[in-house]
Amino acid sequence: MSDLMQLNMGPQHPSMHGVLRLKVKVEGEIIREIEPVIGYLHRNAEKLCEMTYYCDNLVYFDRMDYVASMNMEAGYLEAAEKLLGIPPPERAVYIRTIMNELSRIASHLVWAGAFGLDLGMLTPFFYCFVEREKILRIFTESCGSRQETNYFSIGGVYQDITPEIVDHIKTFLSEFPRKLEDIYNLFAKNDVFLSRTRGIGYLDPEIAIQYGVTGPMLRASGVPYDVRKAEPYLLYDKVDFDIPISKKGDSLARFSVRFEEIRQSIRIIKQIIDKIPEGPFFNPKAKKPMMIRLRGDGEVYARTESSKGEFGVYIVGDGGVKPYRVHVRSPTFKNLSVLPELAKNQMIADLIAISGSIDLVFGEIDR
Amino acid sequence: MTLLSTLYGIFSFLGHYPGYAVSYFIEALLYLIVISLLLIFVIYLFRKFMARLQLRLGPNRVGKFGLLQLIADALKLIGKESILPKERDDLPYRVAPMIVMIGLFLAFTILPYGSLIGIGSLTVTNSAVSLLLVFAVIAIMPLGEVLAGISSHNKYALIGALRSIAKDISFEVPMMLSILAIVMMASARVPESLSISSIVSAQFLPYAILQPLGVFVFFTSMVARASYTPFDMGESDSELVSGFSTEYTGMRFGIFYIGLFGSILLGSTLVSLLYLSGYNGPLSTEAGVVWLFIKAMVLVLISFTVWLSMPRIRIDKFVNFGWKYLLPISFVNLILTGILTLGLGW
Repeated sequence: MSDLMQLNMGPQHPSMHGVLRLKVKVEGEIIREIEPVIGYLHRNAEKLCEMTYYCDNLVYFDRMDYVASMNMEAGYLEAAEKLLGIPPPERAVYIRTIMNELSRIASHLVWAGAFGLDLGMLTPFFYCFVEREKILRIFTESCGSRQETNYFSIGGVYQDITPEIVDHIKTFLSEFPRKLEDIYNLFAKNDVFLSRTRGIGYLDPEIAIQYGVTGPMLRASGVPYDVRKAEPYLLYDKVDFDIPISKKGDSLARFSVRFEEIRQSIRIIKQIIDKIPEGPFFNPKAKKPMMIRLRGDGEVYARTESSKGEFGVYIVGDGGVKPYRVHVRSPTFKNLSVLPELAKNQMIADLIAISGSIDLVFGEIDR
Repeated sequence: MTLLSTLYGIFSFLGHYPGYAVSYFIEALLYLIVISLLLIFVIYLFRKFMARLQLRLGPNRVGKFGLLQLIADALKLIGKESILPKERDDLPYRVAPMIVMIGLFLAFTILPYGSLIGIGSLTVTNSAVSLLLVFAVIAIMPLGEVLAGISSHNKYALIGALRSIAKDISFEVPMMLSILAIVMMASARVPESLSISSIVSAQFLPYAILQPLGVFVFFTSMVARASYTPFDMGESDSELVSGFSTEYTGMRFGIFYIGLFGSILLGSTLVSLLYLSGYNGPLSTEAGVVWLFIKAMVLVLISFTVWLSMPRIRIDKFVNFGWKYLLPISFVNLILTGILTLGLGW
């Protein structure tokens, strides 16, 4: 007979970020075994992509990582445009880079707020969301939509950005850093927060690489891997930014790496916001989106850095207006799979701190 | 002149015993209503204060400034279906919220409140050992939480109850030691040093100034007693869904919620009585209760700020904190108080 008590956390649990279910075996407060169960948000996105036009598939990608939908769009288009041979014009690349980074900031802010809630801090959540709301307002101005933006399109962007939008982005960039430091200090200068995160959920770089962990989680373990540097796309080879890393590998390191990433994103946008060239914002080849077709067979794999990690899209085409197969390498899925290693022999309270620090978005894990 | 004698003055035409019976009954009813309204006010204050802190507006739809929101919420809770878990232990499950409620309201009747113009002294019970009595009554409340957790036969509730026990054990010893220091200090000046009203009158200086360590230990213990963040491990809504009250619905859940805010109010009132010279202040003989109210409300707001800006501490770290920091600090406080009282004759 075992003394372990099985505790079923989720899919309806206040801090399981969507619909994660954890089968946890606890001995008192200590977790001995843990098994994540996923699939509660499976919507068949990959299969649906096979039935839809190349230009329309973006809709499904918007709904994968719904807190950073521009990142998802950039990932899909990186692959689709390579396959179809319709590169975006220079102006669209600039717009995409800016929106991509804004989206990353918004995503990290959502994460920070939710992480605070997981640890019992009620207030920073609202500060984060107020700042995120400003970014969403910029999105609304540029494409009419807040979260599932559907802004990028094959061969460019859906509509041009106006000088007013550029002004609003600039205003945001000038006000945001001070607010960001406030939010950061609210966390990082709180002893209780430090005691809850320091040394909790240590992720060894070896194990991280074995599990395919990417993104801020990997960088917090001291591996300087970022697709934006390793295989630059959009404008990332032309702008100057650092990859924040930390050798600590604990929840606190993941927290500081994400905040440093927000600062680097601000830096990236500041460098290019004044240099947006004039010109067309979409490729004339993509003027009739429904007519975009692949001549002959082809396959392509493209990877981008989403706010969660390396986001890979694999598309096989067999001619025609619809892809033959679409597969997505979801970063959060890989990051989640390392959770049992991290949370083993920790306490229940730590499990929440660890699963919160992974940045789980279930739209992307279950697809 | 006290509230009771005022009431008896009205009802004395009924004769001696019936007159007192009616007066006692009306006094009890008055206290129940006043304390309940006060609790509703504290919850309203919390929601408004939290909203301001979080860049929101808070309740502003029901009534002027949303003042009736809490009444509406209470009505909603009462009207809700009471869902009972199938595998409960029936008696303890039903009794647990009552224990919390009884402990809370009983504790409020023991405290001295000073006087108010036109009514006189508002104190209900004048016991010579009211300090001991109030802590004995407060000690009942955790029993309700533990019973609730164990009797609902839910794993989250069970863990919550176990955490509550671990938490209560680790802060109660330091709390009582800091109370002991107060009694020591008061005994040098007043005869009945176990009575809260004598302790208030013995404070020529607020004891918060004379015993800074003591007020730290006691306030921390009161935070832990009321169990809000950073010390809400028993409830911990992000880990254990809702801790010991997970399986409660409707007004039974509402009672635990009221118990939480009642504990905050009780803790703040106790700190202001024992450490901030309670109802004493300029013009206090006329309206001491106003002073007590102001001091308690300031402490309530401090508690809310702590609640809203802190993450939850882990249970093992809290137990560590209780035994390795609070306990030695309260011993040091005791020794320092002894030196002050006996050596310097304060």
